[in-house]
Amino acid sequence: MQDAKTPPVIELHGIKKCFGTGDAEHYAIDGIDLTIQAGEFIAIMGPSGCGKTTLLNILGLLDRSNDGIYKLDGRDVSSISSWRQAIIRSRQIGFVFQSFNLISRLSIIDNVALPLMYKGYSKTKRLEMASSMLKNFHLSEREYYMPWQLSGGQTQRVAIARALVNSPSIILADEPTGNLDSRSSHVIMEELSDLHQQGNTIIMVTHNPRLTSYASRVITMLDGKVDTDVLTNKSSAKSTKAKKQKNKKTPKPKAATIRRLKKKAVKKTAPVEGES
Amino acid sequence: MRWLMINHVQNASQSLRSNRTRSYLTILGVAIGIASIVAVLSLSAGANKIVSQQIDELGGNIAVVRPGEPRDGPLSGLSPSKINREFAPSSLTEYDLKTIRAIPGAKEVAPIIIVGGAIKGDSLAPNSSTVIASTPDLISINGLELKDGQFFDDTINKDKVVIGLQLSVDIFGTDQSIGKTFKFNKRTLTVVGILKKVNNPINYNNVDFDNTAIISLDTSKLIAGNTPQIQQINIRSDTVANLDDVIVQVNKKLLANHLQQKDFSVLVGDQISQPTSQLFFIITNITTAVAGISLLVGGIGIMNIMLVNVAERTREIGIRKALGASNADIAWQFIIESLSISIAGGAIGYALGYMAAFGISSLVSFTPVFTLDIAITAFVLSIVMGTLFGIYPAIRASRKDPIDSLRHYE
Repeated sequence: MQDAKTPPVIELHGIKKCFGTGDAEHYAIDGIDLTIQAGEFIAIMGPSGCGKTTLLNILGLLDRSNDGIYKLDGRDVSSISSWRQAIIRSRQIGFVFQSFNLISRLSIIDNVALPLMYKGYSKTKRLEMASSMLKNFHLSEREYYMPWQLSGGQTQRVAIARALVNSPSIILADEPTGNLDSRSSHVIMEELSDLHQQGNTIIMVTHNPRLTSYASRVITMLDGKVDTDVLTNKSSAKSTKAKKQKNKKTPKPKAATIRRLKKKAVKKTAPVEGES
Repeated sequence: MRWLMINHVQNASQSLRSNRTRSYLTILGVAIGIASIVAVLSLSAGANKIVSQQIDELGGNIAVVRPGEPRDGPLSGLSPSKINREFAPSSLTEYDLKTIRAIPGAKEVAPIIIVGGAIKGDSLAPNSSTVIASTPDLISINGLELKDGQFFDDTINKDKVVIGLQLSVDIFGTDQSIGKTFKFNKRTLTVVGILKKVNNPINYNNVDFDNTAIISLDTSKLIAGNTPQIQQINIRSDTVANLDDVIVQVNKKLLANHLQQKDFSVLVGDQISQPTSQLFFIITNITTAVAGISLLVGGIGIMNIMLVNVAERTREIGIRKALGASNADIAWQFIIESLSISIAGGAIGYALGYMAAFGISSLVSFTPVFTLDIAITAFVLSIVMGTLFGIYPAIRASRKDPIDSLRHYE
């Protein structure tokens, strides 16, 4: 954003990603320059196959670009070992997938506790943290359900709980509402919006233009390139808020705040809860 | 890191439990392999123990001279001693026997000479029966006892024979066979004594005395010529303390006899008790081979199931990596999984092996023994199996690309 003093969280310069070889060579991402500041809520739009998901994967250190420079917190990621990258994924990045990607043979609470395992917490501590995180998402009674016993909206909330349990500063969401009906989508978007208000950086890929109203910045992609990059009017209001929070140096959500906010959100969406 | 290891163990048990039947079958495969190894080891240790007990019972002052170079090392017990010289004359001679007898500390000296030929009494003797030639010292050196009659001595000697109880029953149909005669290699031998039942087919003499006819050295010369095939010479020293002296003397003098060529070995204590029976060798070798093969098959079972696990959980690997698992974390997860299979298999196999060994021991004359060595061997083998056959699937899992894995359907 406009704040020049704080270094950007993410800086991309001429990022290219190529799939296939020879005749079948195809640039899913064809030279993207992008700067993302802490506390932004970015919605990435675009038609299928324009490289949104690939971009998200590169941002999340799951994939490597063929060309260009990706700086995360000012560090060039190509110089980071895969082991360090795993640690960054574990501590700094939270993933929310379109298809939820819960592990089907683990219970809800075990799924949520999973990222904490790689941070080296003990089992009791893990379950404690996962339990309180699920409480924030009003899934306490569902802790020992299996993933297939939940509705789509609940499953996605579990997935978000899992993404947040290790208090990441960057949340990457790949069409988090892609598989949900509009009411469930609304609940999920409220969650993400709350997280954004607490100063987290959120990068969300979506097909649905209506969801961009939650975002502070909308990027449209076309054929592996950034087509438009617009700050929404929401951003000016949010950005001051975000800046304030940045100054307080609380980029990570606090359990108490989340709980308070969640209560509000759930009151609004109580019927959805009942239905699922 | 400590927690991470515990996590991996919890993880492994969880994923094994989610596929119960498959895990149990793989564990069973390992268990059978370990069980057969444990059974073979415990039974062969049992057989060894019998022989060493015999030697202990005889007073601990026994030494044995055998033809052939001395064999050392841990594998010496696994290769039969006679095979290589089956058709070669023994390197021990009658002159050696005389030399040993002349050594002051050697109180009793008894050779064991195998005399080939068929025994024909009232009926033909079974194939397992043997004729050996020896001296009267044999009786006391081996703790044999006579049921009837007497052993041949300096006067009663020519064409006289002492036979085992079972042999007597086999060829005469009775255990009262004193004075009866039988044909052996065209010579008629008269029974002068019958041995008490020993029921000890495994012993350091390689002779089952129940099925043996014993003739004197002189008689054997009449039958088989002047170069007796000495299979071994048993020596008993006058005191336990003197045994070492006697052995030194025997080594020195025989070396001189043999023109400084060490083509004989002098054995004491545990060296004697290494399994000597030919039959026992064959059984041990075959069962060891079978055990080894089943161990290998069990290991391949582990690898197979782990590869299936990895393929099945490709998506899970992708998720875990996205959530912050490093390659090493994923590799450990699968290694520990295969280790838990193999260690569980090892523990069950250890128990099964002893059950099988005790079952077999009711058919043979020795019982399996419990030693720490066998427990350690079973444990180490199962760990080696788990690591060896688990490492490739684990590495394959850890190298999976997170993006491709996430695209993998579940």
